[in-house]
Order: sequence, then C-alpha cells, then structure tokens
Amino acid sequence: MLRYIVSRLGISVVMILLATVVIFLIANTVPGDPVLMQLGDLAASDPVRVAEFRAHMGLDLPLWHRYWIFLWGLLHGDFGESIVSRRPVLQDIIEYAPATVELASISFVLALLVGLPLGVLAAVRRDSWIDHVARFVSLIGVSAPTFWLAFVVLAIFYGWLDWAPGPGRLDPVSFPPTPITGLLLIDTAWVGDWATFRDAAAHLVLPSIVLAGSTLGLITRTTRAAMLESLSQDYVRVARAKGLRRWVVVNGHALPNAMLPVVTLGGLAYANLLAGAVMTETVFSWPGLGRYTFTSAVAVDFPAIMAITTIVAVVFVAVNFLVDLSYALLDPRVAKR
Amino acid sequence: MSGIVLPAIASPRRRWLRRYGLAGLGAAIIVAWTLLAIFAPWVTPYDVNFVDVANRLHAPSWTHWMGTDQLGRDVATRVVYGARISLTVGFVVVAIGGTFGTLLGAIAAYARGWAEEALMRLTDLVFCFPAIILAMAIAAALGIGTTNTVIAMLVVWWPKFARLSRSLVITQRSMEYVEAAQSVGFKPGHILIRQIMPNAVGPLVVLLTLDVGNAILVFAGLSFLGLGVIPPTAEWGSMVADGRELVQQWWVATFPGIAILTVVMGFNFMGDGFRDWLDPHARSR
Amino acid sequence: MTDTTTKIAIGRRPFVAGAGGLLGAVLAGARPARAQNAARKATLVIGLDISDSISLDPARVAQYSNPLPCHAAYDSLVTFSPGDYVNLKPSAATEWQMLPDGKTLRFKLRQGVKFSTGKPMTAEDARFSFERVINLKDQPQQYIATIGSVKVVDDHTIDMTLTDPTQPILTIIAAPEFIVMEKAVAMAHGATDAADAKTADKATTWLNANSCGTGPYRITGWQRNQSMQMVRNDHYWGGKPGYERVLIRHMSESAAQLLAIQRGDIDVAFNLIPEQVALLKDNKDIRVEGATSLDFIYMAVVNSPDNPALQKQQARQAIGYAIDYDGIIKNLIGGHAVRPVSFLPVGVNGSTEALTKKIGFREDLPRARKLLAEAGLPDGFSFQLAYGKAAIAGVSYENLAQKIQADLARVGIKAELAPMDQLNLRTMYLGAKAQAVLTFWNPPAPENLLWAAASIDRVAKRVHWDVPAAVRANVAAAAAERDLAKSAVLWEKYQQDMVDAANQFVLIQPIYQIAVRNSVTGLRLTAAGWMAELDKAKPV
Repeated sequence: MLRYIVSRLGISVVMILLATVVIFLIANTVPGDPVLMQLGDLAASDPVRVAEFRAHMGLDLPLWHRYWIFLWGLLHGDFGESIVSRRPVLQDIIEYAPATVELASISFVLALLVGLPLGVLAAVRRDSWIDHVARFVSLIGVSAPTFWLAFVVLAIFYGWLDWAPGPGRLDPVSFPPTPITGLLLIDTAWVGDWATFRDAAAHLVLPSIVLAGSTLGLITRTTRAAMLESLSQDYVRVARAKGLRRWVVVNGHALPNAMLPVVTLGGLAYANLLAGAVMTETVFSWPGLGRYTFTSAVAVDFPAIMAITTIVAVVFVAVNFLVDLSYALLDPRVAKR
Repeated sequence: MSGIVLPAIASPRRRWLRRYGLAGLGAAIIVAWTLLAIFAPWVTPYDVNFVDVANRLHAPSWTHWMGTDQLGRDVATRVVYGARISLTVGFVVVAIGGTFGTLLGAIAAYARGWAEEALMRLTDLVFCFPAIILAMAIAAALGIGTTNTVIAMLVVWWPKFARLSRSLVITQRSMEYVEAAQSVGFKPGHILIRQIMPNAVGPLVVLLTLDVGNAILVFAGLSFLGLGVIPPTAEWGSMVADGRELVQQWWVATFPGIAILTVVMGFNFMGDGFRDWLDPHARSR
Repeated sequence: MTDTTTKIAIGRRPFVAGAGGLLGAVLAGARPARAQNAARKATLVIGLDISDSISLDPARVAQYSNPLPCHAAYDSLVTFSPGDYVNLKPSAATEWQMLPDGKTLRFKLRQGVKFSTGKPMTAEDARFSFERVINLKDQPQQYIATIGSVKVVDDHTIDMTLTDPTQPILTIIAAPEFIVMEKAVAMAHGATDAADAKTADKATTWLNANSCGTGPYRITGWQRNQSMQMVRNDHYWGGKPGYERVLIRHMSESAAQLLAIQRGDIDVAFNLIPEQVALLKDNKDIRVEGATSLDFIYMAVVNSPDNPALQKQQARQAIGYAIDYDGIIKNLIGGHAVRPVSFLPVGVNGSTEALTKKIGFREDLPRARKLLAEAGLPDGFSFQLAYGKAAIAGVSYENLAQKIQADLARVGIKAELAPMDQLNLRTMYLGAKAQAVLTFWNPPAPENLLWAAASIDRVAKRVHWDVPAAVRANVAAAAAERDLAKSAVLWEKYQQDMVDAANQFVLIQPIYQIAVRNSVTGLRLTAAGWMAELDKAKPV
C-alpha cells in the first residue's frame, strides 16, 4: 500500500511539472510581445525601455533558464512578479482566491442540498412525476449557458424586480472588513459585523445559483443512477423482504452505498467550480480567480499563467489521487497491480 | 401529481411516452434546428450581414420578430444562421475527438502494459490543464478563428473518450466470447473491431450524443469570451456577448441564448433517453 | 411500477419551504436602507472601470483611470480648467516665467499651501518630487526628458532648467504624474530622489494605498479591481472639500453602472454606453453631462509592403471617402462625438469641427470610385483590418469594424476583419506589420506637439510613411511658435499634410457621457486627462 501511494505521488509531481512545461511552451509561441502591451505608446516605441523592461521581467533569458527560474521560485513558494500588476503573483492570488473559494463553496453546497435529495427521490420514486421533474431540471441545468443565465437572472432579479443586489461582492457603499481569511462571510461574522455579513450573503445569492446550475444537474443525475444501482442490489431486496420500512432501507442501506460515485464526482465538480467560474465572475463583476485567469491569459502574463496552471494542476491531480486512493483502499487488488 | 392517481400499471404506450417522451422531444428539436440550419437562406427574410445602422436596436416587431442588433441586422436571421456554425462545430469536435479518443483507449486497453500506462497518464495530464488558459493560449498563438478554436477544443476533448473506451474494452476483454474468439485464432485487430467494439458501442453512443451538446456549449462560451468566430459571421455565443451590456435591449442577448439552450437541451434529452434505453435495469422493468 | 403509493420520509415540501424561506431572509436583508443614512450622504461614490490601474504612485501613472484619484490627492504646479485646454491656469504655482537666459523656467509656489499632514509645502518638496520622477525612470519621465535640472531658489521658488526650450513643457507638467508630494512622508516610506532611485526607491507599495499631497482628498486604500478610497484633506488650500469620503467602485460592466446609478448606489457613472445614456434622459434624479474628450478612435491604413493596393495613395484616399462618418457618429455613438480633420483633436489650438468640414475626409462615393479608377483598381481591392476586443465610450471596435466593412463594400473595397487580443494587435502594429488597424489615441497632456510628433515619428514608422522634410519643418515651427494665433495657422497646414498622406482616418472623438445624480453639485468634468475635478463637488 505504502509503495503504491509513494509511486502515485511521484507520478503526480511529474504530471504537474509536465503540465507547466506544456503551457510554458505554448505561451511562448505567442507571436505577441507582452512587454509592448504594458508600456505606454512612447515607451513601447523606445527600444531601450523595452529592453530594460524585458530584462527586469527576465524575458530576455533563454527558455530553459526562464523555466528553471520558475521551478526554483516554485520550490521557495515564489511565483515571481506579474507583468500586468507588477507585484508578486502570489499576492495577486491571495487577493483574488477567497472570492472564488467563497462563491464556489456556496454554490457547491447549494447544488448538494438540492441535488442529493432530488436524486434520491427520483430513484426511489422512479418514473413518478418527481423523477420526471428531477430529470427535466437537471437537464436544463447542464444545458443552460452560464454566461447567458447570469445575464438573464441579473436583468430579471436586479434590473427589473429589484429583489437582489447587483454585481460585485458588496454594495458600493459597504466597506470590506479587514481581511482575515478573505472570505467575507467568515470575516464579517468573526468581528460581528452583521450588516456587512448580510450584504455579502445577499450578493452571493444570484451568482451562486447560476454557478450551481450545471453542478446541480450533474449531482442529481449521478445520485439517481447510483441509487438505482444500489436499490437493485440483493441485500436491499433482502432488507425490503424482511419488512423493514422503506425509508430505513433507503437511508440506512442503499444511500451509503450510493455515495461513493457521488463523492468522486462531487470532488471533481468542486475542482471544476474553482477553475471554471470565468463566465459567472465576468458577468457578476466578481473579483475572483476566474477573471484573473482570463486577464492573465489575454495579456500573456507568463508568471501569472504559470502560477494558475500549477495551482489548477495540483488541485486536479490531488483530487484524482484521492479518488484513486479511496478505490485502492476499497479494492486491494488495485494497489497490487 | 399524476404518479399518485395513476394505477400501478400504466398502459405500455403511456409508459413509453413518459420514459422516452423527452428523448423524442430532444430529437425533434435537433431535427428542427438542423433543417433550419441547412435551409437558412430560404427561411430567413433578411440578408444575414446586412448592416443598417439607422435601424439599430429595434424591439421585436412584425417586421423583425426578434428585433435588430447594434448594427441594425435582423436578430432572427442571425439566430437561424448561427445554428450552422454551432451544429457543425458540435458534430466536428465530437466526431474527431470521439473517434481519436475511442481508438486510442481501445488500443491501449488491448495492448496493456506500458502503452496503457503511458496513455492513461497522458489523459491525466490533459485533464489537469486549465482548459480556458489552453484555449486562450492557442488562440493567441494561432490567431482567433473558428478552426483554431476547434483545434484548441480537440486538444482537451479526446481523453474522456479514451478513458471510457478503455474501461469498456477491459470489461469486454474478460468476457467469454472474446476468449472463445482468441482460441479460434482470430487476430487481435479483428477481435477488437469486429467483436469487442460492437458490444461496447452503447455507452459510447450515449457519451457522443450528450457530448455534442457539451461541445456546442463550450464553443459558445469561448466565443462569448471573444475566441470564436471572425465577424461578421453569425454565432450564438458572440451574439450573447454583443448584447451583454444591453439590459433594456434584452432581445439582442436573450434570443441567441435561448437558441443555445434549446439545442443543447435537445442533445441532452436524446442522450439521456439513449442511456435509459441501454440501461439493463431500466429495460427489465 | 412499484410502491407508487408508499409515502417516503424525506418530505420535499418542508425542504423547499425551508430553502425558500432562507433565500427570502437573505434577500430581505439584501437591500439595507441604502443611500439614506448620513454616512452615505457624506460619501461621493463613483462607478468606474479601474481594472487598468497598476499604480497610484504619481511617478508611475501611465494608465487611463488612475489619474483621477492622483489628481484629487495631489496638485501639479500648473493646470487646465475644464473646457479650456489652450490656456494654462495656476495651481500649486501661482506664477511662472522664462528667465532671460531663455532656458530656465522659474515657478513661484503658492503661499499657505499645506499637505494633508498639516505641514506647509516648500520648494524643496517640489524639487524632490520632480527629481524623483526623473530618476525613477518610469514612463512619465519620458515626457519630461527635456528637464535638465530642478533647483530650489528660495522657500517658495524653484528654477527648472531645460535642455531644449523649443520643446513644450508647461502643458505637459499639468498632468497628475508631475505633482508635489511631501518629501518627509515619502522618504519615511522609502522614497528617494537620488540618481539610483530606479532601484533604490521603495515607496511605491505605500503610495499605492496612501498619498502625501496637497489635493482636496487623501488616498486611504486601494483593493485592486474592487475600490479606491479617499478621505477629505482638511488642510486643503482651496476651501473645505464637500465630501468626507470619496469611494471609487470598480464596475467593469456598464450595465451594472447603469443599474447602480438608477438606484442611487453610486453617484457618478463614467462608463455608460450610448443606449444606456438615452434611457436616462427622462430621469428626474440623474443628469447626463457631456465632456468632450481629446481622445479619438482612428483607423490607420499602412503603406503595406504585403499589399500593393494600399501602397497607392489614391487607394487609401478612396477608403477615406467611402466611410459613412455621419452614420457612425449619429447612430453608433448616439451623436455624442465630434470628428477632427486628422491627428489633432478638436479643442486644441488649430483644430475645429469647421476645419474638418473644409479639408477633412467625408463620405463621397463617386469620388471614391473615381480615385479607385485612377489607382488602376476600378474593381476595388481587399485588405486586412485588425482590431482589439475592446470598446471606447460604448462603441466596440468590433461593431465599428463591421460598419466600416459594410461601408467599404459599397465601392468594392473588401475589408477582411482580423480580431485580435490587444497583445498581438500591439505587437503587430508597433512592429509595422499590420495592413490596417482600428485603434485609439489618448495623450498624456493637452500639448499639440505630443500628437504631431507621434504622427510623424512613431506612428509614421508603423504606417510606413516616409515623412517629407517640409512636413517635419512645419511641425517644428508650429511647436516652437509661442503666439497661439500664428501657431494655429501652422497646425492647420500640418493637418492638411496628414489628409494628403491618407494614412489615418479619425472616426470618433467621443463626447463622454457621464451620468451624475442630482444629489451631487459642483463636480466638473474635464478632458485634460484626469476625468473630473473633485475639489468643488458637494452634496446638495
């Protein structure tokens, strides 16, 4: 078992490095020069200035050397300086990440709260109206384009009905609390600033619902399928035959067994939420990692791109690793292979 | 409601309708959109790229069913033409990505050993890329345009098919009929293509169908971010982007969004129906 | 079908009701008594896209949105008042003159000016501030490269020695990059004016979230892509500012700005698009103020080695006569724009709308066809038109490009659109590899030479224009001429030269439409580069 874990860990590190190498190489084939975009028109036309800035950013070094600098920095927890914001990338990420974590977590919880019961109900009362409703809702959820849904709910609930607050994390007149975790809900609750807490919570409602849409569909469908599978198992039939009440069978026997695939998928879905909030964040002016990713990619901000790639790769590899590990624990044959 | 009043055993027709009604609806939607796309020049009243800034942003009316956009072009016409790009991209990405991934996965599973291991690690590698960064980097390197966006999508598209087909082949490989075929002396290639693939094709078809919708959605998203088509080509994602700031002129963004929603829904309904139909648990009832 | 009648334990209705109740509770608290309380009234809230800002250190300001807070926090020696971009006005300096040696400018500093700390402003602070900009060698330094040295004469007098007095300088140092900051405070946070300031100066981090100037407000915080905060400077020399706090909220979406100002969440919205401005016409609480800018969108057409047709002057002129300029201004930007002849915006010396009517390009299709025939291209030609994914004053380059494409098609000229990210666009245009580009020009200060020099040097290279010596001589003469009326004549000549070359077609010089709630008075908009004067703004 230990050998299995160690070898998997080793492979994981190699995977992450490979991912960064590939992105590094692709980003370097871009014909555009990121320096020109960051300098004013006068400076960008002055070869001396351009060369100075390139040297400052280390862009004049050979490829392998630049990659080595990236690796060396990585070992020391340093992602280098962003070409666009001209400050440490890590600082940028620390500032933007909490907004995304908060949004993704809330919408994930939302998707679970609705998706799990809906999936279970749909399986238990198969072919009933609720099954059809669940199917319809989840299929709509995965079919609606997030960027469009965001526009529509904002136009309806903010612009027209005036039920929900507008884009952003807080009202224009609210001042954010001093960051402790950067998660507004926690920071405001910590200092007992309930007015700002309510404000932050209200601002989360629309974007988290929009973001939850597709995850909700996924979780509902997976839960339903897993529940159907486990309801048809012999031990469940036996339990039913023994005369146990239906809800005891569902909650006590079938549900726990159906959870494994749901948890697996849930993990991946959460990782996806963290990485894939670009559109929602764009429409809701949400100052998170998704928009940072987008702006960095547009500007070919090498240090920022490398940092984001590394983080996303680590998250996905870690989730994959945990999933594989849980399978290995459940099925010893996997580890021996 | 109906579930409670209905007798325990519904008529077979009603049961079929309730189980596959959505799938039928999905198929109908797709057929309708496909026909609209093919016959776009004949069913639309306006020239798709006719710019008339004096008539810009007119609300929906009898002359312009879905209003006009910022350049005075007919939104309805552009929505219909948009189906051409979206459907084509959806089919192309899934056809190429699906074929490539499936073959690779099947070969790997059949070959076993280091080839299989290498392939699976490669799929892991692709899975851990931030797809947006990859797509944007490719667009920046090759230039914005439909072909380049499709290339970027293909790079990240094939692994899920590789994984699925590998697991299907592994399952089938241990079946008795394969061992029988081997003992008879068929060549591995023959067994893979003539014996195993037909049996594994069901789940693949489900994934393929669902995935066309997914591909359309992803392409529209990339297009929304400005990586899709070159103007003035009508495309749904970029049309939504055009109208994103126009809350009062809601028709500019709303109709192309509904178009995306319905097409993707069509494929999802159909794929879901396929899955039910193939599911042995479902059929036994 | 089994068990359709069996009840199950997980009641969906309580769940739905619970979730709905929770949602309702959260949303009920969502709209607090906004905009009503006293703190809100004493705060001026500005909605603005500040995503471009990378520094609030004046010596490093080179973007579009950060001059606004910098101008509010610091004072420059001289300034322009809103609407007049020809005559300089006093600010931190009350008088200035060229000394008899012909190369030294002497400034008398205003008496009784205090920094936000309460300490008086001295000549040493001014000298320090200029030397820091020069030695820091960031972008602003390039515009004042002709300043040789700055010396303290007495407590309220400084001398500025110029290496080339024919080059304009006063109009340039009106910009918020060239201000007076408090030396003691800046140095306490790591600032230096020494020759090695480029590496030794460590004050930028502090200056990004604080300020030490003499302006009406003091910067107290900046969260990137979120907000900038300022508080009143009680020591301001121009009278007590009207607001206790100023809050600049980052709002990248114009739709969000519109909704926010309609509800009173923000007081000023800077980035509205024409369609949204039209909606505010009948709103009793909001007024829309127009501010003619000195910015413009232009199409550069290159004498491209890759495109023989574009190398012909008549072919380029045909493009100029085939564009529906009035349709663009009337419809795409709702009439909120003017159009200069060429590379000098309307409003500076020698550039007027009347002149555009007289010598500028205009829509004239027969003439365009005739020019094409003369060029030997009666059936037209095709070229690649590149543009970035962005919008100016609500007009996206994409829509503009499609409109021009449709216009040119009328005379058989085919524009192949090439959307690009800004990165590739800039690399291509600056590297002189484009065929045609739709882009934008905004100068750091209202000085004619800044436009003219660019058009005959940097931009000329980009469009492969071999500038005739006579054109260069004319620009030099115009820049050196200190008599405004005489220089205006020379500038007109320059604009005619630009039209003849037919490499730039200026399409739109926007009149920015800024929505202001009627609860705010005294806010004056300016085109000089820092958007607005906040000193006299106050609540009603």
